[in-house]
Amino acid sequence: MANYDKATIEELIDGTIDFFKLKEMLSSFKDPGRFDTYLEILQERVKWDDRILLPYGLHLYVVQKMDGKRVIKCDCGHEFCEAHENWKLNALIYVRDTDSQLQELYPALLAPDPQWQIIREYYCPTCATQLEVEAVTPWYPIIHDFEPDIDGFYEEWLGRPVPQPVEK
Amino acid sequence: MVTKEGEKVVSRRKTQILAIDAGGTMTDTFLIDDQGEFVVGKAQTTPGDESVGLLHSAADALTFWDMTVEDAFPQLLTGVYSGTAMLNRLVSRKGRKVGLIVNKGMEDHHRMGRAIQSYLGYSYSDRLHLNTHRYDPPLVPREWTRGVTERIDLFGNVVIPLYEHEVAPAVRELVDMGVEAIVISLLHSYKNPVHERRVRDIAQQTLKELGADLPVFASVDYYPVRKESHRTNTTIIEAYAADPSRRTLELVDERIKERGARFDIRVMASHGGTISIKANELARTLVSGPIGGVVGGKYLGEALGIKNIVCSDIGGTSFDIALINQGDFTIDTSPDMARLVLSLPLVAMDSVGAGTGSFVRVDPYTKSIVLGPDSAGYRVGVCYREGGIETITVSDCHVVLGLINPDNFLGGQIKLDRERAYQAVKEQLADPLGLSVEAAAYGVIELLESQLRNYLESLVMGKGYSPAQFACFSYGGGGPLHTAGYVKGLGFEDVLVPAWAAGFSAFGCGAADFEYRYDKTLDINVAYGASDAERRTAGSTLQEAWNELTEKVHEEFEKNGFRRSDVQLRLYYRMQYQGQLNDLEIESPLTSVTSAAEWDQLTATFEDTYGRVYARAARSPELGYTVTGAIVRGSVDVPKPKIPEEPYAGETPPQSAFHGQREVYWDGKFIKADIWEMEALKAGNRIRAFAIIESPATTFVVPPGFEAVLDTHRIFHLRQTSGE
Repeated sequence: MANYDKATIEELIDGTIDFFKLKEMLSSFKDPGRFDTYLEILQERVKWDDRILLPYGLHLYVVQKMDGKRVIKCDCGHEFCEAHENWKLNALIYVRDTDSQLQELYPALLAPDPQWQIIREYYCPTCATQLEVEAVTPWYPIIHDFEPDIDGFYEEWLGRPVPQPVEK
Repeated sequence: MVTKEGEKVVSRRKTQILAIDAGGTMTDTFLIDDQGEFVVGKAQTTPGDESVGLLHSAADALTFWDMTVEDAFPQLLTGVYSGTAMLNRLVSRKGRKVGLIVNKGMEDHHRMGRAIQSYLGYSYSDRLHLNTHRYDPPLVPREWTRGVTERIDLFGNVVIPLYEHEVAPAVRELVDMGVEAIVISLLHSYKNPVHERRVRDIAQQTLKELGADLPVFASVDYYPVRKESHRTNTTIIEAYAADPSRRTLELVDERIKERGARFDIRVMASHGGTISIKANELARTLVSGPIGGVVGGKYLGEALGIKNIVCSDIGGTSFDIALINQGDFTIDTSPDMARLVLSLPLVAMDSVGAGTGSFVRVDPYTKSIVLGPDSAGYRVGVCYREGGIETITVSDCHVVLGLINPDNFLGGQIKLDRERAYQAVKEQLADPLGLSVEAAAYGVIELLESQLRNYLESLVMGKGYSPAQFACFSYGGGGPLHTAGYVKGLGFEDVLVPAWAAGFSAFGCGAADFEYRYDKTLDINVAYGASDAERRTAGSTLQEAWNELTEKVHEEFEKNGFRRSDVQLRLYYRMQYQGQLNDLEIESPLTSVTSAAEWDQLTATFEDTYGRVYARAARSPELGYTVTGAIVRGSVDVPKPKIPEEPYAGETPPQSAFHGQREVYWDGKFIKADIWEMEALKAGNRIRAFAIIESPATTFVVPPGFEAVLDTHRIFHLRQTSGE
């Protein structure tokens, strides 16, 4: 079974990995240590101490608080909500629903008709990083992208219990 | 060769054929003598001047016969070269800087390529896995592409005249950018070449005025066939990789002649013949290796009077199958190589990524054994410490089971470590599956063989044939180990394993005709019940194409000093019912077609072939006919390797061939296998199971339920003795 060193996984995270290495990784069975190495790298890169349980999206993590709560947290330390809730409801939202707003993004004549499709951009209230973009019909509810079953993932896939909070 | 007394005969050996396979890292040389015996030499490939590595490699081979290059080369009758230098140049994108002229508005078509090019060469699972798809960098980048205005439609009509004044500026810009060759490929030029030829002439004129000495390649002069991407890719390869490789080949030719060789070296080409290094279309020498075996199978079949053959080849990385039907192999007219779609005629082969070097893994989710598709190749497996491989391979399982003698692998050149293989199979396979090490290793062999058997069966049956109509040839370094396993129960008419199985591809290269083949796309439509005049016109259109191609064949042979009378020509046409999608390539029963009655002979031959390939009841003359292409194949006589001939010596093998017994694990138990030395067996000898017949380069297993008989041509016939 393949095993990759930490530098390779860092390249994977940063998107700087060579295509042929990436292709080899994609075509092989997943290396058993991948999740832990991945998490270790993410944990090293953030400035706060909360333990990351799961990467949630670009710049976002599910972390474990000392009281056992699982919270969605940004790189910068901003905490949105608990893991089962929709963090987007607590983000800054910029809606492009006029022709001129949409045409800022597209070449001439290629922008969608805002009566049919709008674009919603979600930003972190603390660091203003763009965290997510969705293209939907104007009336569509805010999409709840991902509701992870963290207990199931740890116990059934990784074969170990979810880590418990420890005093530092 | 070993005499009765067991002493080596060196002085009487007559070297006959030289076959060279110059790979990216190693150059292999095969020298075949007049008994069909061969030696293999290896040396490091020397990029830049490949002839250096080649001579080292030949010298290495000849040490086995106590001969030198200077002794052996003057005796040689012929030599065939195949190498991967051109392919490497292409794959590593280290070719010539080529400028491309296409239709204005079509400048991006080469860069965009065909979607299939993003996953060519991938395993089935990767083809489905979009994230793995990737477009390789184009051979000619967009900056070095220029468009000129013109348009010819698919019927060959001029829709927009050529804007001649656009050509010279395009050429000048390309020259200013420093291109080293110019390729021209215009839409539908195969149908009407006038514009493309005019562009070519203006380009040559402009280059002359600029004092720039650059070659110009117009697609119509090379590959006048349908499919723009294929034709453009192939013509670019000609300029990019093939033409620059010509110098390499000339050097090889010069060096072997300096050592006394008295023949012009030939190069194995994709259509199954060999061509001169002076050939116009050199890109077709891009492919070489595996088709050698098929050519050898055809040659051996002709010599033995076998018309229908399934050629099966197991090497380190793949299992290749090709069908020979009525004495001829099938040609694929738009194959792919190096992840590019091409318009070259290629001997049709089917490959699956399962060989003796294939990696064996356990799927962590389903706990099932997975073979390949990647492989250790020449690094064998974990059992070969120096190879540095950590994942177990099929070869490791062979070693564990006792099928391969770890001390006699490649004649003892490589020592294999059984203990290492055993431990690795235990850790990676047996323990996770909860099996004994032997049972796990046996499971791998069974799985591999059943995969190969299914593949072989589906291929033969899928084309509408039954294995009972075919003889199966099994060769390649790993073939004879698994022959019994993959032919079991399929009911082939006969199963043949040549004693020179490991060198069979090289033998095949040596057996290839000196032959040129040229193709041209046509669209001749003749309706059902067409008039005499219409049929006569159709015939003469085909005849014109044949004449044009015949001229090209003659021009090629003239470069090597052959007279027109030396050349044997064979004319072919591709025909289909109007509106159907698949055409058939058919040899013309006539040498010229001028009358309506002669045209009718062509359609009658097509009807016969169609009935044989599909079904008589499926013939549909009421649809009318389309000729989609004309083909001319021309060959001249060249020496071929002799098929060995030995006196019959009886059924009982000589005691000197018996090398004792070895314990082998087979189907749940340990049994004693008789070990035979392949070279010491005599014609007529019958070998009963369980037997392992060893030679330095291959191992032939005769498992329970089988027996093998060696005939007078040093070919084993494997027979099933009990039904299963």
